[in-house]
Amino acid sequence: MAMEATTAYGFLTDATLCIGCKACEVACKQWNQLPADDGPDGPCALTGFSYDNTVDLGATTWRHVAFIERREPGGIAWLMLSDVCKHCVHAGCLDACPTGAIVRTEFDTVVIQDDICNGCGYCVPACPFGVPQIDHADGGSHKCTLCYDRLLGGLMPACAKACPTESIRFGVVDELREAGRERVAALRAEGRSDIHFYGGEELGGTGGIAGLNAMFILNAPPDAFNLPARPRLPRANIRPAALAALAASAGFLIAAAMTFRGES
Amino acid sequence: MSRVSDSETTAPDSDTIPRGYYGVPVIHRPHWKWLVIAYFFFGGIAGATAAIGGIARLMGGRRNASIARVAAYLSLATLIPCPPLLILDLRRPGRFLNMLRVVNPTSPMSIGSWGLAVFGAITTASALLQALADMPGRERDGDDTLARAQRALAPLSAGGGFFIAGYTGVILSATAVPLWSKRPALLAPLFLASAMASGSASITLAAAIIGDGARGAERVHDLEAMASVAEAVLLFAWIASLGSTAKPLLEGRDGTVVRHGVVGAGTLAPLVAAAMSRSRRGRARRALTIVGSAAALVGGFALRYVVIAGGHASADDPQATFDITG
Ligand code: SF4
Ligand code: SF4
Repeated sequence: MAMEATTAYGFLTDATLCIGCKACEVACKQWNQLPADDGPDGPCALTGFSYDNTVDLGATTWRHVAFIERREPGGIAWLMLSDVCKHCVHAGCLDACPTGAIVRTEFDTVVIQDDICNGCGYCVPACPFGVPQIDHADGGSHKCTLCYDRLLGGLMPACAKACPTESIRFGVVDELREAGRERVAALRAEGRSDIHFYGGEELGGTGGIAGLNAMFILNAPPDAFNLPARPRLPRANIRPAALAALAASAGFLIAAAMTFRGES
Repeated sequence: MSRVSDSETTAPDSDTIPRGYYGVPVIHRPHWKWLVIAYFFFGGIAGATAAIGGIARLMGGRRNASIARVAAYLSLATLIPCPPLLILDLRRPGRFLNMLRVVNPTSPMSIGSWGLAVFGAITTASALLQALADMPGRERDGDDTLARAQRALAPLSAGGGFFIAGYTGVILSATAVPLWSKRPALLAPLFLASAMASGSASITLAAAIIGDGARGAERVHDLEAMASVAEAVLLFAWIASLGSTAKPLLEGRDGTVVRHGVVGAGTLAPLVAAAMSRSRRGRARRALTIVGSAAALVGGFALRYVVIAGGHASADDPQATFDITG
């Protein structure tokens, strides 16, 4: 399978198919040579959050399987989802990066070039989804690369390759989007409510983000998985903030000129 | 197979699904702490003093020239710690020059880095010209070239100064942190007003300490009062318009810092000191000026601290993110 440059590639991650095996987390760690996570209580601490001891995406975790336990009449039911960088169409991290370390690749993915990043940390709060993080060990910011190196070699990303249920699908974004919307329609036709397509311009890809190249099919409201329903692109604030600061500057300019007027 | 993916079971009931995920933050907070707070404080003063000095120079006259003189030195003195503070805050400080590797127009930090580089040159030039003008023997021969150069530089100092005083608020606004991003049109002017208050306070403080040499700086008192009132009004407007997002600014230790530090020391104390000093002369007046200006500087630092600390609390609170992204 050769990947074509200038084609947008992405993920479609389907919560209704996830069995919580964490093969994606492991495959990602192995391929990208990521170390074990340090929890608040040391490495590999147990959290008590159902089967989730990974907790969050971070510098050394680029796939994270969320587990939500719900008590139901017959016992415990789980909701599971493998979260990942969304490779946003308009990416807050890329907008914010002052060094040019973050680039959009020929596969329309968003990648941090580790040899450029100076650890300023601006991409960290600029991501509306809480994805990139500075690694305390090497000082650089890190996140999912959508296996840029594998794509160059004609291989699909490690997580999608490892997923035994095709909960993680890799492919051309337009095709995945179509497949995702069809699947959502089919599930709803089966009578399932609370099925959402996350990553279009109504949900997830909102507020100037213009869609996500890593999309999701959710079987609960997005915030149950810690996904913001309608995030905004931080860049949208530059204009109002800068114009207001400019207006305030003009005010102080006039105030100062009045104060310093009438010189002997 | 999970029970919910089985079509036999009832569809997930949103009421039983908690909002959020075990209280884990939705977004990641930045690592920025004391070094950045200190940079915001010193950079704000460097920018505001340059702006005030530039305007004073353009208005002409002896008393204004004395304001511009103090401002030129103060601006450079407060700018000098800025690059080290910013470089040390990088997690890979050796790569600080990568800040000038590209111009990224969607990154206020990129534009700010270039702005800071240009402003550094302007401020250094303006302090050097002032030092030349202050050399013994210069005053009497009235060097026209020097005066003309100073006047030519003044608008650049003013423009660059306002930029440096204001862009830091734009940096914070352009993030996903609820406290910083919810009201960009109030946060950025608040930072500017706070910088103007700290900048004018540092001029009046310096003038009070060096005494006679800067009599003109008395006029900066009025500007200081205006800036602290503007800062207080913007702070109240900002907090009021934030609604529940303002929570970190109202509670706990940071709430105390807002009330006693930002409002008490930063706004009320300087205004009281200014009112009291009106009826006084000599040493008493000078002492009141020193106390009032020092309190204003404490307030300016407190504002920078509380906006950063409150931003961390806001980023860590998943509910705050859901409230602005619902
Ligand atoms: S999800 Fe965050 S890190 Fe990933 S591309 Fe979007 S803004 Fe960047
Ligand atoms: S931490 Fe690195 S990747 Fe993130 S904005 Fe700064 S330079 Fe860019």
